[in-house]
Amino acid sequence: MTSSAPATYFDGKTSARQAVAVELDPAALIIRADDGPVLARWPYQVLEHLPSHDGVFRLGLAGSGDLARLEIRDPAVAAAIDELSALVDRTGGVERRGRRKVVFWSIAAVISLVLVGIFGVPAIATRLAPLIPFAVERKLGEAVDPQVRAMFGGREAGKPFECGTLEDEASGRLALERLTAKLEAAANLGIPLKITVARSPVVNAIALPGGIIYIFRGLIAKSENVDEVAGVLAHEIGHVAHRDATRAALQAAGLSFLFGMVLGDFVGGGAVVIAARAILQLSYSRDVERAADLYAVELMAKAGGNPRALGAVLGRIAGSNDPNLRILLNHPVTGERIALIEQMSAATAATRPLLDAADWAALKRICGGR
Amino acid sequence: MTTMDVAHPTSVPSVPAAASEPPDVGVARFHGSERRFLGLLVRGSLLLAVTLGIYRFWLATDVRRFLWGNTEIAGDYLEYSGTARELLLGFLMALALLVPVYALFFLAALDAGLVGTLSGVLAFLVLALLGQFAVYRARRYRLTRTIFRGVRLYQTGSAWRYAFTSALWWVLTIVTAGLALPWGTAVLERYKLRHTHYGTLQGSFAGTGTGLFLRGIALWLIVVGPLLAGALFALGAINWGALAAALTGSGDDLTKRLADVGFELAAAAVIASSALGWSVLAAALLYPVYRAIVLRWWISGLRLGAATATSRLGTGEVYRVYLRFIGYSILFGTLAVMLIGVALAAFGGLTPSFGKSATSEIAAAVLFIATYVFIMLGYSVVYQATVTIRFWRLSFETTEIKGLRTLDGVEARGAAGSPFGEGLADALDVGGL
Repeated sequence: MTSSAPATYFDGKTSARQAVAVELDPAALIIRADDGPVLARWPYQVLEHLPSHDGVFRLGLAGSGDLARLEIRDPAVAAAIDELSALVDRTGGVERRGRRKVVFWSIAAVISLVLVGIFGVPAIATRLAPLIPFAVERKLGEAVDPQVRAMFGGREAGKPFECGTLEDEASGRLALERLTAKLEAAANLGIPLKITVARSPVVNAIALPGGIIYIFRGLIAKSENVDEVAGVLAHEIGHVAHRDATRAALQAAGLSFLFGMVLGDFVGGGAVVIAARAILQLSYSRDVERAADLYAVELMAKAGGNPRALGAVLGRIAGSNDPNLRILLNHPVTGERIALIEQMSAATAATRPLLDAADWAALKRICGGR
Repeated sequence: MTTMDVAHPTSVPSVPAAASEPPDVGVARFHGSERRFLGLLVRGSLLLAVTLGIYRFWLATDVRRFLWGNTEIAGDYLEYSGTARELLLGFLMALALLVPVYALFFLAALDAGLVGTLSGVLAFLVLALLGQFAVYRARRYRLTRTIFRGVRLYQTGSAWRYAFTSALWWVLTIVTAGLALPWGTAVLERYKLRHTHYGTLQGSFAGTGTGLFLRGIALWLIVVGPLLAGALFALGAINWGALAAALTGSGDDLTKRLADVGFELAAAAVIASSALGWSVLAAALLYPVYRAIVLRWWISGLRLGAATATSRLGTGEVYRVYLRFIGYSILFGTLAVMLIGVALAAFGGLTPSFGKSATSEIAAAVLFIATYVFIMLGYSVVYQATVTIRFWRLSFETTEIKGLRTLDGVEARGAAGSPFGEGLADALDVGGL
């Protein structure tokens, strides 16, 4: 095809539109002004097809930064140029192959991110947590502390969050201190524990990084004897000994970094990140809870208390449908846990309660009378 | 505001123009097929889902190529010359900056002292400022990738100056309950347009804050006015002394003590909440009017050299756009509910102990995430295929451009800008198109 075809040419220096004739030479495309002179010679191997409206075949010079444009509206001429130039990609085939590569490698990257999220991050957090000095852990715990108070506190206006601080609660505090001392001696962790009864009806207990443990008033109210309270505390001390809270903080930071930062945000992706994190932590917490239960059974045996008491209080809570119990029910498969505790405690002989009746009665009243 | 007294192009020839002479007044056209746009969005969204969002650079580039490439001004089509590769690069550059910033804020939040308490506020301020910086720089990228007749647009000016100006006006807007918004918008648009160039042509913005204020004050009075009045009335009606006594007093039940404060508190609560309800309802119903007012004002203020724009966008047309969006949203919502119902039934049938064992818990969570992603992406597609494209089309097709001939002899200037701003806007979630 050596005949000429009409086209529009912009030279990239001014916005003037020039009506031109295009000739397809064997080696190059010749752009000729209407009145004859050659305006430009574009070799086929540097041509680039640029996006435009369907009816307009727009060409530019590849990789030059030159904004000169040639626009051809005759599809036959466009097809002929596409034939002659290796770079021109009129049907988008090259582009599509490039896209397929992007999609393939993106999926590969996603798979490896998920695998690192499931296996890598917990492994790293597990190795890293023991290396963190106690002082740093305590600091981390103290940073989380206000959030715990904001979440659970403030239900009884005018009273402090900690039980045992008011005048009529002093004997309860002494009982708690005696119980804490017994458990601390048996555990022999080498770091000081800070066990507090919190004024909240929630039936639960939590361990923050750095040996800070909260047991909520609701749980003491549900307990029938002191060993049940001690069992729950022993379970939380297990979390402290295994540095679970610190590890969870490291894991959460690692996962939010992996999914939130590396992948950025697409339409509401943040919520997906949080949900994904919740799933992954659900699978961590299964093993973690089991390990803390085992620790609790051993610690109770060492302290001379009844290891089965933890199973008893768990069973009572799981059987009730008080809305305050929701949090504990989130712990996986209570039945499985109770069976394990029973099985581990099988060898234990009869035991005596860790506090005498008077102290237990005082502990029950640590958050005031009633 | 310097060079726009251009009601008449001064160079109108005294002899009649030749037949080939292009007209000086015209309307831009959009030739994109909505069906093809929908196809592009659906395909892109599926790929977004399987690549956890990595495909967004390619999708954004496709969308822009489609919108730009199908827009015709005075016989020639716009060209978007940006590439997905550049957007990815910009995102990586933003990551290099933001990762240490986020790490610092994380560390600061761990501090138990004053630094820790203030870190949240500080992070918000820094990121908000950075967001406005990104908005300006992203605009620069987009402009320098916009080519018309072989000449690019470009943007000068300082992104930091823009960010600080924007922050200042946001504070003023919040303090004045929105009354300062028109002037703030005008100042920022003037800054943007004054630093916008098409080759040797410089842009400017003729819209004024007072003009926008006068157009919008009725809306403000209807939407914000009652809310403000209700809040003030409620604050005045409460017996503060009695309330304070009730909050700090001792006794069993806080609710009971609050009830004792009496009628004023209840009345104040009722008035404040009904004012709020009114405002929310009015805002939802009148939002299209607001969009139309701002868009008309903005387009009619645009100047490029001697070329001027006048918008004839009708409020009814904007309502039609949103009603269409609501209609398709309901359609999509119904379909989604049916699909999810079928999926749940199938899932429940397979595992009778749904929610009991560990595997089914994880499966349920995965199903939940899949549903969530499906719905979010679906609505995003519906929004773009109804609202985004129609606004694009309406903005061009209801605008009369005078002085088109000034676009003919423009000399090329400016160079391609860095995609850093785009990446930053993407990472901070302040991106536009």
